[in-house]
Amino acid sequence: MPQLPFKEMSRPAIIRWLLIAVMVVFGIRLFYLQVIKHADYAEMAAAEQIKPLTIPAKRGLIYAMDGSTPVPLVINQTLYTMFVDPSIVKDPSKILDTIRSVAGGNLQPNLESLISRKESRYQILGKNLTRRQAEMIKSKNYAGLGFQEVTARVYPEAGLAGQVLGFVNGDGVGQYGVEGYFNSQLVGKDGRLKSVTDPSGVPLTIGDKNVNIPAVDGDDIVLTIDRNVQAFAEKALAEGLKRTKATNGSVVVIDPRNGKVMAMANLPTYNPAEFGKAQSADLFNNAIVSAPYEPGSDIKTFTVATGLDKGIIEPDSRYNNTDYIKIEDRTIQNFTKGQTGDITYQTALNYSLNTGMVTIAKLLGDGNSITKGARDTLYDYFHNRFGFGKLTGIELSNEQPGIIISPSQRDGGAVRYSNMTFGQGMDLTMIQVASSFCSLVNGGTYYPPTVVEGKLDKDGNLVAAPKKTPKLGVISKTASDKVHKMIHEARTAFFANRDKPGYDIGGKTGTSQTLINGSYDNDQTVGTYLGYGGDTEAKYVIMVEVSGKGMGLQGGTDAMPIFTDISNWLIDYLKLQPKG
Amino acid sequence: MSYQPLTTPYYSSRRQSGWNRNQNTVAFASSIKLGPISHTILIALMVTIIGLVYLTQATMTTSYDYEAQKFDNQIAELETKNADLKVDNARLTALEKVQSSNVAKNMTTPVSTEYAR
Repeated sequence: MPQLPFKEMSRPAIIRWLLIAVMVVFGIRLFYLQVIKHADYAEMAAAEQIKPLTIPAKRGLIYAMDGSTPVPLVINQTLYTMFVDPSIVKDPSKILDTIRSVAGGNLQPNLESLISRKESRYQILGKNLTRRQAEMIKSKNYAGLGFQEVTARVYPEAGLAGQVLGFVNGDGVGQYGVEGYFNSQLVGKDGRLKSVTDPSGVPLTIGDKNVNIPAVDGDDIVLTIDRNVQAFAEKALAEGLKRTKATNGSVVVIDPRNGKVMAMANLPTYNPAEFGKAQSADLFNNAIVSAPYEPGSDIKTFTVATGLDKGIIEPDSRYNNTDYIKIEDRTIQNFTKGQTGDITYQTALNYSLNTGMVTIAKLLGDGNSITKGARDTLYDYFHNRFGFGKLTGIELSNEQPGIIISPSQRDGGAVRYSNMTFGQGMDLTMIQVASSFCSLVNGGTYYPPTVVEGKLDKDGNLVAAPKKTPKLGVISKTASDKVHKMIHEARTAFFANRDKPGYDIGGKTGTSQTLINGSYDNDQTVGTYLGYGGDTEAKYVIMVEVSGKGMGLQGGTDAMPIFTDISNWLIDYLKLQPKG
Repeated sequence: MSYQPLTTPYYSSRRQSGWNRNQNTVAFASSIKLGPISHTILIALMVTIIGLVYLTQATMTTSYDYEAQKFDNQIAELETKNADLKVDNARLTALEKVQSSNVAKNMTTPVSTEYAR
């Protein structure tokens, strides 16, 4: 077999071929890494280098008014939680001395015990430290001591208008009051920053996948609440409860010319800065909008207004009054007896005579009974015009509509409607009653109540909120003027000397029995007073309510003095000039 | 001044080639000749220069990022200080604070009030 000639390769040729082989291997490997596995490695690199960061939006602030100037009620502050890693602390006593001298009031109890837990890596030593306190402690460079930033809501006016404001829970969600109602507007929208970062996390502009969406801060909301009126209302209410020994009370002050709520106070209340310390969740609810009750004799002003507007009565028109009146199988009686015989409707209002109101209801029908037509008319006025049993739309969480039974319902008969003329048989909220009372004394226009004055723009200027549509002609101007005067007479008949002379002040007492287990309890009554004040026109409407378990509280003796205190103070505060 | 004739090696007159209107009639060729090694070195140099320019620009951009980050941190710090001052201001002008101030304590109620009409 012939031997094939072996062609010897030179050494350079061998090296050349070896190098080519190595290069081919490298080439294949590079092709595998850079082409086939490109997507995987690009993803891994991006995960390492590109960090998505959230730019937190600042929660909007809440302001009240001080006259015509917005003042902050709720603001944000960056506070610090101070923690320690006990396992690396070298000189605990030195740390404790420093933090006690700098932030004594913000420290946890048992500091020695916390800092000596060597098995633990994280112990909180203090909360809500200010930036200055944190910087002073940081400057000492203690090993193992660290700080965590937290944004907290702070309340420069302490607990003022707590139930109007609500609070922000641990998850940053607004609860109750304005915080709850406007949570979505206050919270703003977090921004996004997606960028290549260096090893220390500094965002770099290299790369083509950067995202920078700025945060949109929440709206700064300005309330109609005037902090001076609010503070005085809270003080007058507290003093009134102390005087009467009542355990619960509420006050609402409204400008009848536009429906703006100037003050809204309830007792007992809570401080939003310490909402966790509240004894009961009931305290978070603003009773003025959330707790419907039987309003009692305050409603007689509405019954009289209905009669005047329908033209069936005049203030001085007369009727034959009795102490008792029978409606179907029920007998309705007056609290004040003896005002019998031929009397005017003004007298009926002054003495708060139930029988007079039932007479008006009869006159709305055929004059002898509360017919279906009479009930329809009353329902039209109470529900459709005055807004009883409907949400007012006030910008506060948990508003309740209350209950009013229509004549078409099984329970909407003559007995119920006779009771409704003097404020029983329906559950209303104070905000419903007070805001519709404004229409009785302002010429007949219903302004939906509001707590929102507007917003602050970026330059801190107040931008007025869009006006809610008023309901014109709830009652005629003539009827309003008449009932306005009647309410003034009703107050001056008994309480004339309580008011500053020269002003137009009017009001009506209310004392409602409490419905306990289906029957009215005369020993537990809710006292209310509903009135207005002004000079040439009504400038404010005040409604006061006091109550207490097992207590028989009266509108005239227990609620009315609180109204008077606030009314006389408001005359000075609003710089009203006496007539004449 | 005397007329200098062209010394270009490749000269073609309108008569020598197919001449057309608006067509260049003169071509120049460099007398400098570059070999393959020179070409390679030049290309390598160009690539290096372009690479250096890219690196310089990228580094400059990154340095601006650090600068910007420094300003961002300053802004954030000043905003925090501003917010703290606002909180202090709000606390110092709070109603309770104002009412308990010496100025408020020294205020008196007017004996009578007259109104301008």
